Amino acid sequence: MSIKIDCLLERNNFKLDVQLEVEPRSVLAITGENGSGKTSTLDMISGLLACTEGKILLNDKVFDDATTGEFLQPEFRGVSTVFQGGSLFNHLSVTRNITFGRGIALKDTSRFHEVVAQFNLESLLSHKPSTLSGGQRQRVALARAFLAPSEVLLLDEPTTSLDVNSREGVIKTMQNFFKTYDGVVILVSHDGAEIAELATQVAKIEVSRGKTTEAKLRA
Amino acid sequence: MKRQISAPRGLWFIAVPGIALVVMPVLAVVWRTNYANFWTSISSESSRVALLLSLRTSIMATVLALIFGTPLAWLLANRQFRGRLFLRALCVLPMVLPPVVGGVALLFAFGRRSPIGGALDDWFGIQLAFTQTAAVLAQFFVAAPFFIVVMEAAFEQVDQRIVGTARTFGAGPWRTFLTVTLALVRPSLIAGVALTWARALGEFGATIAFAGNTPGKTQTVPLAVYSQLESGGDDALALSVLMIIVSLAVLIGLRSSWISVLKRGGA
Repeated sequence: MSIKIDCLLERNNFKLDVQLEVEPRSVLAITGENGSGKTSTLDMISGLLACTEGKILLNDKVFDDATTGEFLQPEFRGVSTVFQGGSLFNHLSVTRNITFGRGIALKDTSRFHEVVAQFNLESLLSHKPSTLSGGQRQRVALARAFLAPSEVLLLDEPTTSLDVNSREGVIKTMQNFFKTYDGVVILVSHDGAEIAELATQVAKIEVSRGKTTEAKLRA
Repeated sequence: MKRQISAPRGLWFIAVPGIALVVMPVLAVVWRTNYANFWTSISSESSRVALLLSLRTSIMATVLALIFGTPLAWLLANRQFRGRLFLRALCVLPMVLPPVVGGVALLFAFGRRSPIGGALDDWFGIQLAFTQTAAVLAQFFVAAPFFIVVMEAAFEQVDQRIVGTARTFGAGPWRTFLTVTLALVRPSLIAGVALTWARALGEFGATIAFAGNTPGKTQTVPLAVYSQLESGGDDALALSVLMIIVSLAVLIGLRSSWISVLKRGGA
């Protein structure tokens, strides 16, 4: 399940050069200043952005290849995501958010109830996300990403919006999940403590600002 | 003394005459209407026929705008393609064009002596001009831009992260569009449908040029008002009052949604 990325993203006055290889069962934390391209890196892996040059592979599955023009649509990549703010579907109940897409097959299974319990969401299942607090929303987003089968898990600052009390529990839940997770986890974080508790390796995006901003990520 | 930051002095003195220009004509119609005969006027044979025709054609025009306008608005909001700005200008053109010019244009495109209209007649025996279908097309021509403009703004406001999230969790583009995007734009969709319907209901110029003014066939309420005004009837005023009530009801009923839609930047 190793993921191999060797690609370049070019936009007006911004160049992001990513070369990384992450082995299965490891958790890579990406750090770097604001605007250095952390979220863009996740977007290229999930398929929301295409590389300008280079390619992304998951084992022998081509996600993106600028040379051959191959581009696997996000729904076929098996990449689960937790974006900042949770990106919940406000018109759907918590249950339907958690089981959206690939997770639908697991609705009402023991796995579903286990995840719901881990994130302390039992009493919120019928609620709409707009009635939840920031921390509750984040827990829903994490539950959704943990429930849906995936080969890659992308987490963009997963505990930033949590208060101190629920943060500890969520970190524990994530640690437990990572123990049995066979895929690759890539985590964007500013939080040294979070990185220390979750990541198995760390990579920093180095930025040099000139006429164009050049960012480099190596791992 | 109101406890709030002060406004420039005299704004009310300038604003009120402006409001008066809009309110006075409406009040004049409401004032002059003979309410003793209101119900008789509204339910007279000719009025009833015009009302039903208006209702039917305006709903059909709105449905057409919904079917064709939604994909078009999505493309305008989400895709970069050659001629996008020109296409958008074309879509909005009927909003600023005199409707009667639109009607004449429709006549030259689909009238019996036009290549398309002639071919439709020769091959299928379909005549569009001066039919009820023409009334629907005229209303669509004039009203659909309202829907497209509202929906383009709505699709532009959609949080692409949420759409992207749906895709990463396995929903394909159509499923994402139908179950996520459309839900996110629902308030605008309702406001757009209401505005489009209200505009179609009030359509006059394009209809009279392309569909004509045949009672029972193409004479919608605005045309009936015009015809009955010429013959000096009370019916014209009664129908006008009804149109004012319906339009106000639509706008007030949807005030929160259409105001927010327009605030977010319609065009």
